[in-house]
Amino acid sequence: MTPMPATSAERWLRRFAREWRTALRITAISLRARTQYRGDFIAALAMGLAWQTSIFVFATVILTRFPGLGGWTSGGVLLIVAIRMLSHGGMVLVFNSLIMIPYIVQQGALDGYLIRPMPVYRQILLYTFPLNALGDSFSALLLFAFAITRVHLAWTPLMALYLVAAVIGGVLLEAAIQTLVSTLAFRFTIPIAVFMWFDRMIATFGNYPFSILPLAARAFLTYLLPVAFVAYLPAAVLTGRVASTGVPEWLAYASPAVGPLLYILARYAWYRALRHYESVGG
Amino acid sequence: MVPQASPPNEWPLTRLRSSLLPWRGMRVTLITELTQPVRYVTQLTMVVTQLALTYWLWRALYAGVRMSAGLDVTQATSYALLGVLYLQFRSVDRWSNGDTMVQLMFEGTIAYWFIRPVSPRRWYLIRMCGDLAYGAVWALVAYLACRAAGAIAGPPSLAAGGAALLTLALGLVITYYLQVVVDLMCFWSTVNDSAVVAVQFASSLLSGAFAPLWFFPGWFQRANEFLPFQSTLNVPLSLYVGRLPVSALPGQLAVQAAWCASLALFTWWLWRRAAARVTVLGG
Amino acid sequence: MPAGTIVAEGLIKVFRTVARGTGVAGALKSVIRPERVAKVAVDQVSLRVDQGELLALLGPNGAGKSTTIKMLCGILTPTGGRVEVNGITPYQDRIANARQVGAVFGQRSQLWRDLTARQSLEVLRDMHGLRAAEYRDRIREFNRILEIEEFWEGRARQLSLGQRVRCDLAAALLHDPPVVFLDEPTIGMDVVVKEQVREFLRDQVQRRGRTVLLTTHDMTEVAKLAERVALIDHGRLMYDGKTAGLRDLAGVTWEAHVTVETVPAVIDVPGMRLTRADGTRLSFAPAPGAGEDLTPRHAVRRLIEHLPVTDIRVEEPDLEDVVRQAFRAGR
Repeated sequence: MTPMPATSAERWLRRFAREWRTALRITAISLRARTQYRGDFIAALAMGLAWQTSIFVFATVILTRFPGLGGWTSGGVLLIVAIRMLSHGGMVLVFNSLIMIPYIVQQGALDGYLIRPMPVYRQILLYTFPLNALGDSFSALLLFAFAITRVHLAWTPLMALYLVAAVIGGVLLEAAIQTLVSTLAFRFTIPIAVFMWFDRMIATFGNYPFSILPLAARAFLTYLLPVAFVAYLPAAVLTGRVASTGVPEWLAYASPAVGPLLYILARYAWYRALRHYESVGG
Repeated sequence: MVPQASPPNEWPLTRLRSSLLPWRGMRVTLITELTQPVRYVTQLTMVVTQLALTYWLWRALYAGVRMSAGLDVTQATSYALLGVLYLQFRSVDRWSNGDTMVQLMFEGTIAYWFIRPVSPRRWYLIRMCGDLAYGAVWALVAYLACRAAGAIAGPPSLAAGGAALLTLALGLVITYYLQVVVDLMCFWSTVNDSAVVAVQFASSLLSGAFAPLWFFPGWFQRANEFLPFQSTLNVPLSLYVGRLPVSALPGQLAVQAAWCASLALFTWWLWRRAAARVTVLGG
Repeated sequence: MPAGTIVAEGLIKVFRTVARGTGVAGALKSVIRPERVAKVAVDQVSLRVDQGELLALLGPNGAGKSTTIKMLCGILTPTGGRVEVNGITPYQDRIANARQVGAVFGQRSQLWRDLTARQSLEVLRDMHGLRAAEYRDRIREFNRILEIEEFWEGRARQLSLGQRVRCDLAAALLHDPPVVFLDEPTIGMDVVVKEQVREFLRDQVQRRGRTVLLTTHDMTEVAKLAERVALIDHGRLMYDGKTAGLRDLAGVTWEAHVTVETVPAVIDVPGMRLTRADGTRLSFAPAPGAGEDLTPRHAVRRLIEHLPVTDIRVEEPDLEDVVRQAFRAGR
């Protein structure tokens, strides 16, 4: 019989460790479940790799064919690409199962989740082992490393820290978007294509310096679909091009914070929507 | 009165009628999509947004360059926008209706396909035609809107336009057969999510829907020529914008015809194997 | 052969699956070098259902009922044996078979989730090439008992299970097939709807002369619907005959429970044997060799003649007990 923990901090730590262990165990089981479908396992990994590499290839091609993108050097653009890719890789690793929400709702499994002692959001994240994500994340890491070496910047520890913050902010920003999309799934039948569309939009348009785009596009991609905060603005800060972004300076510098803020809002909206969830008929 | 086992005497007209009537099943797609505002409202938003952003991006890319990869700004923009329109052909979501092959297999509803007077192959074709027709209407309306707005330029000549249309039609046939292959894999492998994603990836990237193929490195384009995807979209679009001359039509048609024929044969054989092998899960 | 006859001879179905290993090593092994396992789902099943008959195929889960019925429908190809429905081999002539067969598979619906039930039926009408007048008549006929017009404007995903199955029944019979297969159609439904479905089936068999093969593991269903029942377990047919005859197989009979004023020293009732004695409460069952003549009514009279009876009760065996005994006896 273990002795009672002395402080509340210790208690909190124990609970935290326990919850992580449970999460990891569930993940291990999901992985085993996925590996039983052998073709799927290999193919899923390959697919992730293929997609990310292709996008990267295309981005580099664009760079070579269209030099001088709004005054950005190819190194700078590669930095944008690198940050976005790594953010995406991190995002799918943790939040990939959000796209399964329409499926979970339709199966009626959500009702079961609601009465389990684990937060519903977390249960959904643990729904399936993110096999595609492994391919995505792995290639994202590789490509990030490759891109960073091409970015000729005088890196200081502060800049490195900012870079890390930007990536984390990017992860949470994409997660926030997908979480918000998934709130629709509680009320309507949303095709997975909607999630993929957002994914595709960020992947396609998030690679470029927005200073080349007309005002309408720039405004859309900054304030409506805030892709700008994922990679473009942090990269602008790091390469000293904040003035050309057309965005208030303080906002550009604070771009890594937009992700976490939006994520908190999204989670709150998500739980509100969950409360209004009506179980499927039958 | 006991119903008779053998069908009554059928006039040729009746037989024609009973073979054409199942085609009305195409309207399942229409009913599904139009009776739920969520579907067409989100689709409209997505199409308009993507078209606008694509247009602006390409115009911006070409700001400092006149010609690249053999395409000028109008050609590249038109190509990219038409690529977005092409994605509308595959925009129908079968999943919420329970109609994807994977679902039918997984839930066992596929059993009903084998006790209907329409063969599974024929019914699959009917439903797919419904989906393609629905997507085609979206694509057409969007095309006309883009033409009116001047975002997409017209073809350099009537012949080029005709060539594009012809190769597009054959391209759609190839796309259909490829989808059949992916869907029929359900009969052998109980999970084919990755195959679906793979074909989606291939058909959007390797066909040119994601970005004009001419911009990709030479080795990429050459490797791609061994695959059928680039003939589904890249060829029609290149003919339309004038990147490929009309004189290239016969050669391209031959390639497409070869793919059509081999895929038709392959899928015919696959359907036979699938029907013979039918195993329904959960029984 | 009269229309609507189902004949199955020596049906065999063997499934080959990949054995799943345990642990990570096992999981990897199933990827690299899979091990195949053969499972015999149906072993030498022979059946015959004549026109206008209703046969219930009874068995526990995993017994091979669904597999058998799928072979009879032509959905599964048998590994061995012969099957003929109305003279047609189902898995060879699917289109021709489809015209003469209708089916409802318990937990799976033909209806499209996003369409209203009515729209689904209309699509199926087109598929079968029915005329508008024919279709209207059929719907009217089905509506009489199933009452589908009350809720068929609702999307299939919003219908309750009972409503959905009723629509599926209508869908299965839309083209007026002489043969109907039902795979656990009333599973999970409430009692009222179950009775409605049973009434409908009885009507279809008796008035329209349809041939029905029904699989179920619900005993009440068998008792109320079927005069003939076939028992299947572990892929083998263990009994095929009258429902009443099932009791003889199981060796389970009715019992008479008697309460007497005083227990006599010698208990001797001709044709009856004492099965249990609990103070003044005695239970009797027909003695072996008592013959068919000893009906419960005769037994009651005899007991009253021979014993100081104050209370008497006759209990028919529960079909569930009968079946359980039969399975045990069969093994």
